[in-house]
Amino acid sequence: MHPGTRTHRRRLLRGLAAAAIAVPLVLGAAACGDDEGGGSTSDPNAPVRLSVFYWGSEARAKLTEDALNAYKAKHPNVDFEVTWQANQGYADKLATLAAGGDVPDLFALDDNMLADFATRNVTADLTEYKGGKIDVSKFPPSLVEYGMVDGKLVGISAGENTQGLVYNKTLLTKNGLPEPTTGQTWEQHIDWAAQVATKTKVPGTQDPSADYKAFWVWIRQQGKDLYSGKELGFSADDLAKWFTLWKGARDKGATPTPDIIHEGNVTDISKQLVVTGKAATSWVWANQMPELKKNTKDELGVVAYPGDPSGQWARSSMYWSVARSSDKKDTAVDVINFLVNDQQAVNILGTDRGLPSNMDLRTAFAGTVTDANMKLSIQVENDLAAKFGKAPQVPPKGHSTFRSELVKAAENVQFGRATPEKAAADLIALVQPKLG
Amino acid sequence: MALTTAEQPSVRASRATGTPAKRRGSRRGRRSEAVAGYVFLSPWLLGLMAVTAVPMLLSLYISFTNYDILSPLSEVEWVGLDNYERMFTADPSYWRSVTVTVSFALIAVPLKLAVALGVALLLNRAWRGVGLFRGLFYLPSLIGGSVALAIVWVSMFNREGAFNGFLGLFGIEGKPWVNDPTWALETLMVLAIWQFGAPMVIFLAGLKQVPTELYEAASVDGAGRFRQFRSVTLPMLSPVIFFNLVLETINGFQGFTAAFVLSNGTGGPIDSTLMYTLNLYIKGFTDYEMGYASAMAWVFLLAIGIITAVFFSTGRFWVHYSDGDDR
Repeated sequence: MHPGTRTHRRRLLRGLAAAAIAVPLVLGAAACGDDEGGGSTSDPNAPVRLSVFYWGSEARAKLTEDALNAYKAKHPNVDFEVTWQANQGYADKLATLAAGGDVPDLFALDDNMLADFATRNVTADLTEYKGGKIDVSKFPPSLVEYGMVDGKLVGISAGENTQGLVYNKTLLTKNGLPEPTTGQTWEQHIDWAAQVATKTKVPGTQDPSADYKAFWVWIRQQGKDLYSGKELGFSADDLAKWFTLWKGARDKGATPTPDIIHEGNVTDISKQLVVTGKAATSWVWANQMPELKKNTKDELGVVAYPGDPSGQWARSSMYWSVARSSDKKDTAVDVINFLVNDQQAVNILGTDRGLPSNMDLRTAFAGTVTDANMKLSIQVENDLAAKFGKAPQVPPKGHSTFRSELVKAAENVQFGRATPEKAAADLIALVQPKLG
Repeated sequence: MALTTAEQPSVRASRATGTPAKRRGSRRGRRSEAVAGYVFLSPWLLGLMAVTAVPMLLSLYISFTNYDILSPLSEVEWVGLDNYERMFTADPSYWRSVTVTVSFALIAVPLKLAVALGVALLLNRAWRGVGLFRGLFYLPSLIGGSVALAIVWVSMFNREGAFNGFLGLFGIEGKPWVNDPTWALETLMVLAIWQFGAPMVIFLAGLKQVPTELYEAASVDGAGRFRQFRSVTLPMLSPVIFFNLVLETINGFQGFTAAFVLSNGTGGPIDSTLMYTLNLYIKGFTDYEMGYASAMAWVFLLAIGIITAVFFSTGRFWVHYSDGDDR
């Protein structure tokens, strides 16, 4: 072969290889280039197709669809591509979409995932829209703050909720037992639960030692918090005390057996122990009461968790976030604003994601509510609002690890495989390095 | 294996006569044949490259990084052997999942094979309606990997489940099997054993291959049933047993669905059902440690490779290929 042809051919091959590498890079760069533009220069009436992703039940899907249709009626150029699924696996799915560079324009998050997604720049910073396209002036300030990570506004609260202790009213009345009240101490609650168990043969309360939100309220009442910056805000001693408190409750027979508690720990809302009749109370969020009611014939009631209610706070139950990679940010933001600040949308969505974040609209909406359970959960939460403490920081990255390790640690104690002290120390050693 | 055994003489024959003929064929002819071969293979080859080889190599690369799947791949940092080091020195959940998986495979696989062989022996007789029974016994395997089955299993083996109801008939107080960390893994093992249909069908095929004259000869020699089973059936069946053993072991190590469903994706209660693959999934998709999860996957691949290699190297001591060669 002629040496000239050989070099020529080699050069050609090299060129082809370079092209093969360069083309995806260029495409990738082009895709990145879209990130920055908010699409603000484009024609506001040009057709837009917005992808929306959230988790929930069939009922929530119906409400959300109605609310989005109401938006569409006002903005015929906007079309929605909605995907929803059950809570389990939602975060996994969203993470997979993020890995594929295919994050939906508009998606739901909760405080369990917010920091994870925000610190890795999956969510767009919405600070620039505040006061403009998104009005949060009617929100309680703590709800707005609870959507901020590292100084960026990354989630708009889709609703407010707080911890709620739901109890089986029918069972208590039938047996002439008193109902739990807001402000009862933890010891009173446990004694009450033991009394319920003796009288009705139904354990009075689900042992919530595996439940991060119950521990959170309790630890705040001890003058500490779950997190302090990117560290755990409590010591192994504190956690051991918590486990010991519930060990005492179990020894008194106030709670179900460990395997039943485990059932309650891993199940979704439709099989909470208060609904399946395996305990007289369940530790949930106050706004979930109407949803629980759908799964039982018994009357339910709801009060705050035991202890000083200032341990509770107005929590953003869920956020709407916009993908940083979206090229339709303006539209996505406008849709969020509609969902949280339009009376029609607020009335459609009801309390499914929590009480409406906009206080004016919440009051107006509350006046229209006819469903007795929904009314009760609004009333309880409004009563509590006066007593709420300051909202804590949004949990840092690694919060989901804390949650799953807490379940393991608590179950180790419940099944008698570890002492409260050992389980607490192990948890701290395991979780602390994962936070950040 | 039984099937290859039957073919082997003819293969050998063709090798004896055919090879020289081929050797005489021109270079060009052979080459164009090869090209044609690759052309016909190309869809599969391209598929293999795109959906298997490339992702595998990528995951090997990722296993040396701190990739968290949420950040773009271009922002990952090379961390060298950190992930591998952490696995072996600083992650108790890793060793927990290794223990769970190994005990699962050690107990469930031999039992499953034993049940499969036992039922295959029963169904190898010429009964009326034996075909129906073969179908029925195979049925659990058809719905095998399904999520629905695992859900049914949970409700059968919880405190109020059908199984405890059955025990209650005999006055035995049951346990909350799936919700008790002592018994949850055992419940999964029972589920795996119950799905013995696939190895059973293969055993059946193997049993049909055993020449009846061997049994006739054995009974003429005065061998009883048990002796026949031990000295005729088992050796003749050993290639099939080997095949099933390798396959089911790999399967056993890879068990995921049932553990995932039973524990709601947590591996609970208290990590008692934390199978290796489930742990890997949790690390990758719940804790966003895809680099670490990839490293786990590669160690897993190596481990299964080594176990399989051990099977193959010990196989020559007990697997009997009856091609008259006595190797």
